Order: sequence, then C-alpha cells, then structure tokens
Amino acid sequence: MSQALIDLVREKFPDTAGSSHRGDEVVNVRREQLVEIVSYLRNDAACDMKLLRDIVGVDLLTWRTEMTGGGALASNEAPAYAVQNKPRVEPRFYVAYNLYSITRKHSLRVRLDLRSDDAKVPTITSLYRTADWWERYVYDMFGIEFTGHPNLQRLLMYPEFQGFPLRKDYPVRKRQPLVPELDFPDLIRGPGPGPGGAGVPMSQTHVGRQNVDPNTYD
Amino acid sequence: MTEQVLDPHAHDPLSLDAELPSSLMTVNLGPSHPAMHGTVRLVVTLDGETIVEAIPEIGFLHRGFSKSSENSTWHQVLPYTDRLNYVSPILNTTGYIMGVEKLIGIKPTERAEYLRVLGGEISRICDHLTCVGAIGLELGAYTVFLYAIEARELLWDRIAELTGARVTVSWTRISGVATDMPPGWEQRLRDCLPRVLELTNEIDTLLTRNRIFVDRTRGIGVISGEEAIDWGFTGPCLRACGVNYDVRKAHPYSVYDRMDFEIPLGSRGDTYDRYVLRLEEIRQSHKIVQQCLAQMPPGPIIGDDWRYALPPKKDVFGSIEGVMAHFKLIMEGIQVPAGEVYVYTEGANGELGFHIVSNGKGKPYAIQVRAPGFPILSALARLIKGHAVADLIPIFDSINMIGGEVEQ
Repeated sequence: MSQALIDLVREKFPDTAGSSHRGDEVVNVRREQLVEIVSYLRNDAACDMKLLRDIVGVDLLTWRTEMTGGGALASNEAPAYAVQNKPRVEPRFYVAYNLYSITRKHSLRVRLDLRSDDAKVPTITSLYRTADWWERYVYDMFGIEFTGHPNLQRLLMYPEFQGFPLRKDYPVRKRQPLVPELDFPDLIRGPGPGPGGAGVPMSQTHVGRQNVDPNTYD
Repeated sequence: MTEQVLDPHAHDPLSLDAELPSSLMTVNLGPSHPAMHGTVRLVVTLDGETIVEAIPEIGFLHRGFSKSSENSTWHQVLPYTDRLNYVSPILNTTGYIMGVEKLIGIKPTERAEYLRVLGGEISRICDHLTCVGAIGLELGAYTVFLYAIEARELLWDRIAELTGARVTVSWTRISGVATDMPPGWEQRLRDCLPRVLELTNEIDTLLTRNRIFVDRTRGIGVISGEEAIDWGFTGPCLRACGVNYDVRKAHPYSVYDRMDFEIPLGSRGDTYDRYVLRLEEIRQSHKIVQQCLAQMPPGPIIGDDWRYALPPKKDVFGSIEGVMAHFKLIMEGIQVPAGEVYVYTEGANGELGFHIVSNGKGKPYAIQVRAPGFPILSALARLIKGHAVADLIPIFDSINMIGGEVEQ
C-alpha cells in the first residue's frame, strides 16, 4: 500500500527520492517543492493524508563522530575540537513530516535536508493547523526557521534562552543563568520602581537577599 | 396640546436592559494553579465572562527528555519514558520499547505480549479514571473523585505487586517484560476488577444524567471531526467527534488483533462526549483485561537473545557466556543498528508516537516523542474561545493534558 503511495508521489514529482526502512516509507523532497507535495498529499483523493502526526528535526553534526571505548560509554556530544576544526557535515539538518491518512490507513514521511547556513523551511501552517506548534517546537529546539509562520516564537524554552538545546553542539551539561526578574510595580507601595530603586529587581530588595552578591548564585 | 409618549427607559443608563459599559480584561491563569493540572499558563482576555482570546504558554515542566535520551544508553531512556505520562506509564514504556524492537527487528515472547497488553489496559483504566474523577472534582462533585481514586488505587496496588512500583514502573524490557505475575496475583486482580467496574458504574449514575453536570458539559468545547483532524487530535478527543481512529483497531499491534472489544464513538465532539467516551473505554479495557487473563499462554516472559535481553541470574553466575552478556549489557548497553523509525501506539489520550533515529553507536541518536496531548493542547485556545471563563476548567479537564509528555 505504502509503496504504491511512494510511486504515486514519484510519478507526480519525478525528482523526489523514495526509500523504505523497517516498513517506514520516506520521500526526500527539495525545499521548493515541499509545500506543493504536502498539499498534494493532503488534498489528493488517493492520498488523503489529513493527519499531520508531527514534525521532527534532526541535527546530523555528530553522526559520524569517531568514538573510543565502548560505543555507549563515549558521548554523543561533539567535542569542541570536532566542532571547530573538522569540516562541517552538510547538509547538517533535516526536517521530517510524519503524515497519516485515517481513511486509507497509510503513512508517509516527507523528509527535507537543510544546509546549516540556510536552515529555512517554508511553513505549512496554512495546510495543517497542528503544524503551528510543531514548527515552533522545531524552531525552539534546532533553530530552523519556518518562513511565513504567523508566530514563530519559542515554545518550551523561555524567550531569553540563548542557543538551541537539541543541536548537537549545545553541551548537555550547559547551564544558563536564570533570567533576572523583571522590575514590577509594588502593589503595596504603589506604582513606580521597587524599594531598591529603578532597575533593581524586587527579589534583590528582599530582606534575606540584601547582602547576597548577585554574581555568586546562578 | 399633544401628549408625547416616551419610553421612560430609552436613554436611561440605569435601566435594566441598557448595555453595561465593559472593557476587555486580561486574566492570568496558572502556571501554579490546581485546575491547570500543574504547569500550563493561560493568558485569557475576557469580555465580561466571555473568553475573547486565550494564549497558552507551556514549557514550565520541560526537562529535556530528548537531550537526556540522546546522552543515555537505550535502556537508560526507559525510566525517562515512564515519566512522560505518569498516570499510564506502562503504555509509554511499551511504545518506546516497540520502537527499539522495530529498529532491531526482534519480537517479544508471546507471554510478554499478553502481559504488556494486560498492564497497558490496566494503565488505560487508571488514566481514564483520573480524568473522569478530575472533571467531577472540578465541577464540584467531590464524591466522584473519591470513587475514581478508590478504583485507581485498587489497580495501582495490583500494578505495584506486578512491577514493583506504583507509578514509575519501568517494567517493559526489550523483547519482553521485567517480571511475571507473582503467585496469587491473577486471583487478586480478578477480585478487584468487579469493584472497579462497580465504582465506574457509580460514577456513571452520579454524573451522566446529572442535570448540573450535563448543563455544564453538553455543547461546551465543541469541535467537528474534520477540524479536530486538522488540529492533530487523536484518541478519545477525536473519537468523541465521531471519527473512528484507534491504533489498536486500525493497525493492531501486539495481540490486540486477538482481543474482542469495541471502539466507542461520540457524535458531538463536546466535553460531555469526551467524558462519556472515557467511561465506555474503561468498560472496554476491562473486557480486554479479562480476555488477556483467559488467553495468557505459559512460557518465558523475555526473549533469550542475550545481545538485547539480560540473561537470567542462574546463567550470569553459572556460565561464562551469561557473565559476558551481562557485563556487556550493563557496561555498554545494547547496540541498535542504524536506522530511523516512527512507531505509534494507542496511548490513553491518543496516538503516542516515538520517532527514533539510531546511528548504530550504542545510544539513541535522536528521539522525539509525539505526545497525544501536544496537538490537543495547541487547540485549547480554539476550544475555549467564546465560552464563559467557568467553562474553561471542564474543557481543559476533558482533553486530559499530561504535562509530563506535552512539555517533555
């Protein structure tokens, strides 16, 4: 069934590449064709893939990193030298769309490779509403930009967060300082800066914290 | 002189039917609020009591599931998957383990398949009971919550006896499960199941025709089947709209093809249907549990391929091969061939998917979980728009968002 689906797509779009692994059918597409192909898969009666299961991002930076010792004992994390000195893996990212048809009971993965210097994908929010949050999620975690998305903001991380946590060059043990608390009007004393003066967060004007050097805690 | 008859209230701002001057108000709900189930923040714009706009903000429970998994061995990921949905953990671990098994290309033993389905359906009952109880609780029916929790406790005690832990069980293993049913357990389960059904029926009689409950839930949070699919709904929330999609029936995995059960369907897609559907699913799961007990074949509970499954202790201490296999599995973990799969099972709240990528080097290269609640929560603003602020709580309950899996 699904092989027939790949043939259908390849017949319509000859420059896509189909493959299969463990029963999962995949088509690799080019970026210019993405919206057209997904739209075809969604709307064509023979495909009828109305359910977008999820959008997945993968960073291939350490895919071939040599490891010493037992495979599992070595870290998947890229060592600093590997990131700095070695030639970059290109295309570094890919985005995969898992599509499913409830009526025809077949599924297909649409895969799109992306170069790290041009990690931009056209949005499919006009085709699937659920793509809204999935695209925000992939942007949040991988920094892949979805052009045309109505509200491309971070989803799980906070807006002040630096970097993209699921990229392989983001260290797993990295800690980011918590965001300084924003100054807010004191409800008892009325509007205006807090008792510490303008720019001093309320947390640092608390009695217990007055003598704490803000640089000593993170 | 003509007498002019005027409506005395026409321009009187104090009259009863004059429009009240109102302005929009923004109210912040959560993230720490008992009715927001932990961790969701909702910024709601209100016109009087009507919700004009709602912006959900999530991520307060984000603990880096994918990042942690990428830096753990395949077996070390297992406890993390427990913690995705802490109300029905066996369904989650089974989903993940099925993904790894698909990558490797091995099958669990037959008894293990039955045990997984058995544990999974008990978990599903617990999940639905929690959801139904919470709807009752937050609409003022505290008794319902107590009944649901009593039933859930009975089942969690059985799960504790079976797996060794109440909530975070980590019970499923590659090519099998960790422990078999202890002696006398089957009888204890058979003894407590009628009580669970009795309590479910009590909840049914208390809520389903309760005037207050029906008024608060019927026609509230309505979504059509087509729109629900567009938003990525699956599970009870989709079936409440009348769309027949259940992974257990559409693509039967494990031994679901041998089970005789039905998929209840709603028609309106409102809060009431989502509630009724869950009650009915409890009864269907109850049927599956009974069939599992009846059909359970004897045999090993875990495969004997020592590259993936820990050898029995007798072999670890009694043979050199056993020691070697044990050492390799503990120190290095299993080696999964390179590949990429998407595996999907029916979780308690919808399709639970794991997208797993392996580069063949001893750790998952990338894992992404498709939490059933994630797309449903993204539609929350759509569901509550236009309703009163008091309707927000039952709608939010009925989609049964689990923070652990949505926020990963």
